[in-house]
Amino acid sequence: MSEPESVEALTRRWHGLEAALPLLQAIQRQYGYLPADVLREASRGAGIPLARLMGVATFYPQFRHRPVGKHLIRVCDGTACHVKGSELVRDALRRHLKLEGTADTDAAGTFTLETVACLGCCTLAPVIQVDAMTYGHLTPGLVPSVLDEFLRGAATRSAALAADGARSTGSGEVRVGLGSCCMAKGSREIFEAVSRTLAELGAGAHVKRVGCVGMCSQAPLLEIEVPGSRPALYARVQAADVPAILGRHFRARGGRAVRQTTTRWLTTLLAGREHPQAEAIARDGGETAPFFEHQVHIATADSGVMDPTDATEYAERGGFVALQSCVRDRTPEAVIREIQHSGLRGRGGAGYPTGLKWAKVRQAPGTDKVIICNGDEGDPGAFMDRMIMESYPYRVIEGMAIAAHAVGAREGVLYIRSEYPLALDRMREALARCEERGWVGAGAGAAGCPVVLRVFEGAGAFVCGEETALLASVEGRRGMPRLRPPYPGERGLNGRPTLVNNVETYALVPWIVRHGGAAFAGLGTAESKGTKVFALAGKVERGGLIEVPMGLTLRQIVEQVGGGIAGGRRFKAVQIGGPSGGCIPERLADTPVDYQSLAGLGAIMGSGGIVVLDDADCMVELARYFLEFTQGQSCGRCTFCRIGTRRMLEVLERLCAGHGKVEDLGELEQLSHQIQVGSLCGLGKTAPNPVLTTLKYFREEYEAHVAGRCPAGRCRGLIHYTITDRCIGCTLCAQHCPVDAIPMTPYERHAILQDKCIRCGTCKTVCPAEAVSVE
Amino acid sequence: MVRVTIDGRKVEVAEGATILEAARAAGIEIPTMCYRPGWEASTSCMVCLVRVKGQHSLQPACAAPVRDGMEIESETPEVHGARRTAVELLLSDHVGDCRAPCQSTCPAGMDIPLMIRHLTRHEWREAVATVKRDIALPGVLGRICPAPCEKACRRAACDQALSICLLKRAAADADLAMPVPFRPACRPDTGRRVAVIGGGPAGLAAAYHLLEEGIRPVVIDDRAQPGGRLRERIDPARLPGSVLDAEAAVIAGLGAEFRMNTRVGRDIAFADLVAGHDAVVLAVGEWAAPEGFPAGLDVTGHGLAVNPRTGATNLPRVFACGDAVRKTEMAVIAVAAGKTVARAVAEFLRTGSAHGADRAFSVHIGRVRPEERAVFLQEGAPRARVEPAGGLATGFAEDEVKAEAQRCLHCDCRRTADCRLRELAVRYGAKASRYKSERRAFEHDLGHPDIVYEPGKCILCGLCVQAAERAGDEPGLTLEGRSYDVRVRVPLAGDIAGALAKSGKACVAVCPTGALALKA
Repeated sequence: MSEPESVEALTRRWHGLEAALPLLQAIQRQYGYLPADVLREASRGAGIPLARLMGVATFYPQFRHRPVGKHLIRVCDGTACHVKGSELVRDALRRHLKLEGTADTDAAGTFTLETVACLGCCTLAPVIQVDAMTYGHLTPGLVPSVLDEFLRGAATRSAALAADGARSTGSGEVRVGLGSCCMAKGSREIFEAVSRTLAELGAGAHVKRVGCVGMCSQAPLLEIEVPGSRPALYARVQAADVPAILGRHFRARGGRAVRQTTTRWLTTLLAGREHPQAEAIARDGGETAPFFEHQVHIATADSGVMDPTDATEYAERGGFVALQSCVRDRTPEAVIREIQHSGLRGRGGAGYPTGLKWAKVRQAPGTDKVIICNGDEGDPGAFMDRMIMESYPYRVIEGMAIAAHAVGAREGVLYIRSEYPLALDRMREALARCEERGWVGAGAGAAGCPVVLRVFEGAGAFVCGEETALLASVEGRRGMPRLRPPYPGERGLNGRPTLVNNVETYALVPWIVRHGGAAFAGLGTAESKGTKVFALAGKVERGGLIEVPMGLTLRQIVEQVGGGIAGGRRFKAVQIGGPSGGCIPERLADTPVDYQSLAGLGAIMGSGGIVVLDDADCMVELARYFLEFTQGQSCGRCTFCRIGTRRMLEVLERLCAGHGKVEDLGELEQLSHQIQVGSLCGLGKTAPNPVLTTLKYFREEYEAHVAGRCPAGRCRGLIHYTITDRCIGCTLCAQHCPVDAIPMTPYERHAILQDKCIRCGTCKTVCPAEAVSVE
Repeated sequence: MVRVTIDGRKVEVAEGATILEAARAAGIEIPTMCYRPGWEASTSCMVCLVRVKGQHSLQPACAAPVRDGMEIESETPEVHGARRTAVELLLSDHVGDCRAPCQSTCPAGMDIPLMIRHLTRHEWREAVATVKRDIALPGVLGRICPAPCEKACRRAACDQALSICLLKRAAADADLAMPVPFRPACRPDTGRRVAVIGGGPAGLAAAYHLLEEGIRPVVIDDRAQPGGRLRERIDPARLPGSVLDAEAAVIAGLGAEFRMNTRVGRDIAFADLVAGHDAVVLAVGEWAAPEGFPAGLDVTGHGLAVNPRTGATNLPRVFACGDAVRKTEMAVIAVAAGKTVARAVAEFLRTGSAHGADRAFSVHIGRVRPEERAVFLQEGAPRARVEPAGGLATGFAEDEVKAEAQRCLHCDCRRTADCRLRELAVRYGAKASRYKSERRAFEHDLGHPDIVYEPGKCILCGLCVQAAERAGDEPGLTLEGRSYDVRVRVPLAGDIAGALAKSGKACVAVCPTGALALKA
């Protein structure tokens, strides 16, 4: 932590209306929250009227107005976490910290609890973040030990990793995945263990941090490549196993024998399940082969082998060739034609033809144009853009530079959500390197583009993914969407023609330029060209980040790439497109994934989050979950979204609590229709989609709720737990029950006191005899 | 210039004009609430939605620019339905009463808070004018009414109800004590004549309100004095005959003819009355047996069968009201029915048919929560209910009237007359309770010398935020929060008097609802 700065110093650095967000972020970094007197002083110092500053400070969820505890616990409530029980984890945390009512900080002031929309670590669901530490696969029962472990480790936690290691020396390379998922599962420690072991062995191999491999559910991943042999990929590695693994591939210098221990894969506390044996996974064969065989890596090219922030390596692998060829040899019009040939459509959700958008900005009058990269990926259950920014920051910058050249923009903004600290760091670092090397920036050389780019950190508002809200946010205002037209291409940032594309869209651009639009158009389907990156999570065996050609069916994605449903349950549906998308039932899983087919089913491609659902997932509850999300993320401007989604949510809450009526279903449909046609922006217009698709494909579940039943056994108001005669009287349930609803009766069948039971499911989890049933 | 068609009308407007501007140029009115010409568009209320042919969703006319060749529809069932939904959603989140609970509960719908405001200032004439708009016999009712209004009085839920009935009596008694009691402004004589059979409370009220409509009534009763059963059933100590006499005399003074000791069917034939008058109002009270009704009238198990909105019977030009239709123990119901029928008769004579009046639109706060009591009580004088020192026989003395009137919480909306939300609710037939939800807590900020802010009535158009900014007020107002929790607030919970030192009244002027209102 750097020295605290005075408010005066902060306002010197962040001055004027447009500086509102970074100023508030700086204040919060300093104080942990936004103290009222500091805000008053900052308003005067920065020349931002107090009304304006407070409008902004109260709009963005990132900003806190109450003092916080020493450590901040963020409970992820993304879709994947939600379907895996994040609500129970949050309740357990509240109980453990003894938080009552609206309190969010424990009495000792040690922990402050907050819920965040999605941390983008969906494959580790359910996830919490305690300060910078991420813990995955949590259960309510693990909460006390996780917090204890955090407090024990807080004192001794190691500092950040050293930056670039030495370049490869030719005697082998050990790659450690350092995407957020891998880091959350301890890949820092593995990185250190590898460095230490290699030093002990005296092996000349190079240890290298690499971006995401995509097999996030297998994190942390370790890959070893020794010249002359096939690369070996190890999944779910523990730091303690590193010497043994390395020992298989490297001999100690001086002939010293490496300790050859039989690898014992410990059941880690957090995974809560047995690890697979320490067998290397072949990328091109064996049981995980289907994970890779359907994939085509364009936006995610060099996945798992490239150091994310090593500019030289990016250049060696063909990076910035495309930019160079554009600025040297192609007119902007020619670049735009190439993009148009590729058939590329925006990957952010709406699927607008990218080339057409570029052409419009190019043709817009004026020379003062802006280019924006929308990295405000907020869909719960989506983490494509995070992975791309963390693993391929140069590719995104190159795509932006090409776009800037094409549309004639001299200024650009990378808008990245604050929940992605690693992506922010990596993009900032990569941007600095690009400027040093003259690829972008005012001092760009002949092979670069003189667009001046900057990173803008979002502040936790999902709605800022909507482009007009994003613009308002960059302008230092409340992130409220406005009516389009005018589109940003006509009137964007501060009234200037502005190109807004999503991260993945930009990341595809260099490949298209290098290989030609036709090559890209050769992939995918007639109307949906190229590849799409998906974040595959939920109840699937192998969750992760995948890039596949358009037109693969949902079933191929779930069953082949994803390895089917985890835990032997039944494949029920996929949720695609997040809160704007829909639930597609298993019986329609042979639908190809392309823009038209999904729209035909009432869903959307969206940004690419796919959450797989099994028969334990309640579709009514899921609809409620999404409505709760969109309702909470509404900017509050237009009547239909602000109040309409709230009324829908209330109906869904009644249904889930068992107080629903038959008329409620018609009411939901009527309100859905009105909200779709009457809302101002895309967030509102698409908010009813999860409700409409579940009503369409799973109406019988709604009817069951009206009748007082939750077929999936999920809605807490409609279920109760009982202990069957399989009970062996082990007392584990009684020991673990957080509310003492199970009297301890050793060697006898236990029973649950229904009036005390909070339906947290802990007893079912700990029971060794499967004696707890849900009805 | 671009050409567009709105509801079939072609209009040419400048490029960049909004649909709303084009509609206005074409003479088509599209409703708005959050819009103000020349100010930054809020595009929040969405009551200006229109259908642009070929577009997937409806467009807010106030902000959507016209394009050449656009075809726009503003008056279709779909568009009206969406506007109605917008209004109903806003109403589902509206914490306020258009009409105070007392007025909504009063069978005659009397504007009680307005009467009380006049009484706080000892404006006797205005007070009685307010009362007599709806209650023809306030002196009588001021003595005998069971006062359902007092049970509904919000202050009853906070501490003790206002003594509304006694206040009304005070207004009536003060008026009757004047050399010339109050005379309503009556329409010029229409030359129409109506026979009112029965001189009880319903008949007297019908006569009074017919006179207001420029119609001369003939009140026919077989008793010797007007007042019907009131004289027989009520202890004269409670309701002295002199009060009935005085109020009947006012009606006679306005031009009503009283034909007493005359029994229809004995002294005069019903058919002759019908033939000899433009209309007949049956206010005969409770009849011993239905067979006593004139032949040809439909009856129900309770009494005469009438249209509940107009009091029209099945016979042409024959109306009925009061206990003849359905027996009640509350004279105020009979008085109210007399008024309804008089107005329906007037409508019938004017237009040839009677529809009756719609019940006034109103949103309701409903039950007071314990934690809200103190908030509501901020409006009224902090004192216990005043009991007349002279007892019920004398009623309130002048100073007691003032003291009691000052306890009123003025639950009615200060902006009922010009509230855009209410106007549109009526126009589009919105139901205030269409979408039910747990309401927010009641709030009002009385800290400004000129204005009152009620966040519960705010539709978040932000016009006041702009008004304060335009006036250069520091810190002014801001939109705080997000989603369903957005509120207009003084930044950092500051004081509204300071925040809107210059722009208080300007904020009221731009507020489309009752969220901001002048105090007076």
